[in-house]
Amino acid sequence: MIETLHTIMEGAVERLSYQVTTILPGLLAGLVILLGAYLIARGVYWLLQRIFKGIALNRFLVQSGISTMLDRSGRFNATRLVAATSYWIILLVGCLTALSAFDTNLTSRIIERVVFLFPALVTAALIVLGGAWLGQYLSRSTLVWAVNEGIPSPRRLSAVVRLIILFVAVVVAADQLSFARNVFFAAFIILVGGAVLAGSLALGLGSRGVVQRYFERKASDSEMPMERSLQDHL
Amino acid sequence: MAEISLPDETRHAVELIHQADIVVGIPSYNSVRTIGHVVQAAHAGLAKYFRQFISVVINSDGGSKDGTREAVLGTRVEDTHMLLISTPLFPVHRLSFPYHGIPGKGSAFRSIFEVAKMLGAKACIVVDSDLRSITPEWIDLLVRPILLADYDLVAPYYHRHKYDGTITNSIVYPLTRSLYGLAVRQPIGGDFGISARLVSRYLERKDWETDVARYGVDIWMTTIALAESFRVCQSFLGAKLHDAKDPGSDLTSMLTQVVGSVFTLMQEYETAWKEQSGSHRADLFGFRYDVGLDPIEVNTDRMLAAFRNGCKDLGEIWALALHPDNHKALLALSCRANEDSKRFHIEDELWVRVIYDFASAYKNRPLERGHLLRSLTPLYLARVASFVVEAHSLLPPEFEEKIEQLCLCFEKLKPYLISRWNGEAISGPAPALSSPAANVGEISKR
Repeated sequence: MIETLHTIMEGAVERLSYQVTTILPGLLAGLVILLGAYLIARGVYWLLQRIFKGIALNRFLVQSGISTMLDRSGRFNATRLVAATSYWIILLVGCLTALSAFDTNLTSRIIERVVFLFPALVTAALIVLGGAWLGQYLSRSTLVWAVNEGIPSPRRLSAVVRLIILFVAVVVAADQLSFARNVFFAAFIILVGGAVLAGSLALGLGSRGVVQRYFERKASDSEMPMERSLQDHL
Repeated sequence: MAEISLPDETRHAVELIHQADIVVGIPSYNSVRTIGHVVQAAHAGLAKYFRQFISVVINSDGGSKDGTREAVLGTRVEDTHMLLISTPLFPVHRLSFPYHGIPGKGSAFRSIFEVAKMLGAKACIVVDSDLRSITPEWIDLLVRPILLADYDLVAPYYHRHKYDGTITNSIVYPLTRSLYGLAVRQPIGGDFGISARLVSRYLERKDWETDVARYGVDIWMTTIALAESFRVCQSFLGAKLHDAKDPGSDLTSMLTQVVGSVFTLMQEYETAWKEQSGSHRADLFGFRYDVGLDPIEVNTDRMLAAFRNGCKDLGEIWALALHPDNHKALLALSCRANEDSKRFHIEDELWVRVIYDFASAYKNRPLERGHLLRSLTPLYLARVASFVVEAHSLLPPEFEEKIEQLCLCFEKLKPYLISRWNGEAISGPAPALSSPAANVGEISKR
């Protein structure tokens, strides 16, 4: 009995010492790498904030509307973008290096997965960013057009345009990542189909009078001397 | 410069004519009702005042479907002989052809200038095809300063109804004057006389396929002449009465094209206008007389409704373009527009700042330029409504005085434009807007 207990204890200690001797150095090395990566990332962030001006990139961000898209106040700038991107890339590389220090099957698989997924992830992020930009552009176009044409609820209309574009971008991005493909696709079909049906019904039944009055008003407006005078007399 | 393609038969006809001294260009689109009268006036003017010159009347058409070109070629000019004391030495040639490229007035002008250059014309004039008030004297008044006084651009000077020419009165004239320092009262009048030198300069340019191809062409021509120090004068042409334009054409597009052209050229000629301060009047030819004008009906309620809607819904866009104080002032005005439309008033200073903010935003691009320009429409309508309310009981000279005050305000606030243009943050709030009365007093002291 005592001998059996002794054997079990010995085995447990052996396994523990084996695990300590194999995992602990890796863990310690990983922690050191992670700490180093964090410190480097902070340092690079601090340095870039001070030395990188990125005037041309900044102009691009402002003029393309990306700056206001990411931060309504318009304070988002090239320096912040480059510093934050560098910070996260260094941190990600640090994490992967720290994981590789363990040198186990599991960590190798995780690293492999991340490395393979990275391009798809970047592509998906770019798709969402592009969708957000296009959504902003088209929603503003819709807003200005609707206001100038006197269409009712222009802001709601522009928000709908923005959401639809963003949703399409998310569907495409999810497809790129092979993430819940069917769910997104089904949701997309249901949404678009539903929107078309609702629109048709609304136009056909509920809003018939409104649409009729709107077009009548437009037709009579073009006959009005006020409009003619503004258009004819630059 | 990308060569424009004239139709083969036009090129052939131009080669047959070989040379001309004066070219009268008439751009047209579905103007069958009026173009005959314009052609007759041009013929009579050329035969009466320039009998010793070889002249060509050119119609550059945008694909009219109402027989405009046939009307040009079929117009009888025999009746005009009774206006003449002496017989012309040369016949007046006449050409009508469709232009190619972007449909618009600018593309039509480009074809006319191309033909004028091919013919080696000393003077080229352009007149609208929808004019009802054109007389043979217009030809004389637009050509003579070029041939005899060596001017390069003769801009028109008309008597217009006080509610007519609202884009000119509220934006283009005061802005152009304050920028380039010469008061050309009708910078987008549409009827111009141009020297051979200036025609060549226009044709050298590479921006024909922008808004210049459409309604932007008039201000483009005037601005180039002013900014590049060509000699510019004005001729008094009497009243401008013309047919209604295509009802399908919309106000926002016109405003966008004209204002977009002004702002684009501001970037190109930045050094020229930044150095300029104050202004003086361009020389004015012709005998001034008073004329009766077509009444113009204006519905300010609809304009103010458009303004209120703009304030309610376009805040996101205006906030990117306008100085916060100006934005706030506009929102406050929107509330007042709700209360009493009959006393609605936008102060000159606020309006000038708004235009300068838009010009600076156009350059610095915090948002897409098309959105920016189109979002100006409700503000422009509000300004027109304010103008109409204020000018309701004003006589023409008083109205002109009002425009003069606006111009002086544009000139006074030019430092504000320069600081906004350079992207400098305006430290603290923008100077408080003074009351209209104080405004007038301040300007008078100048």
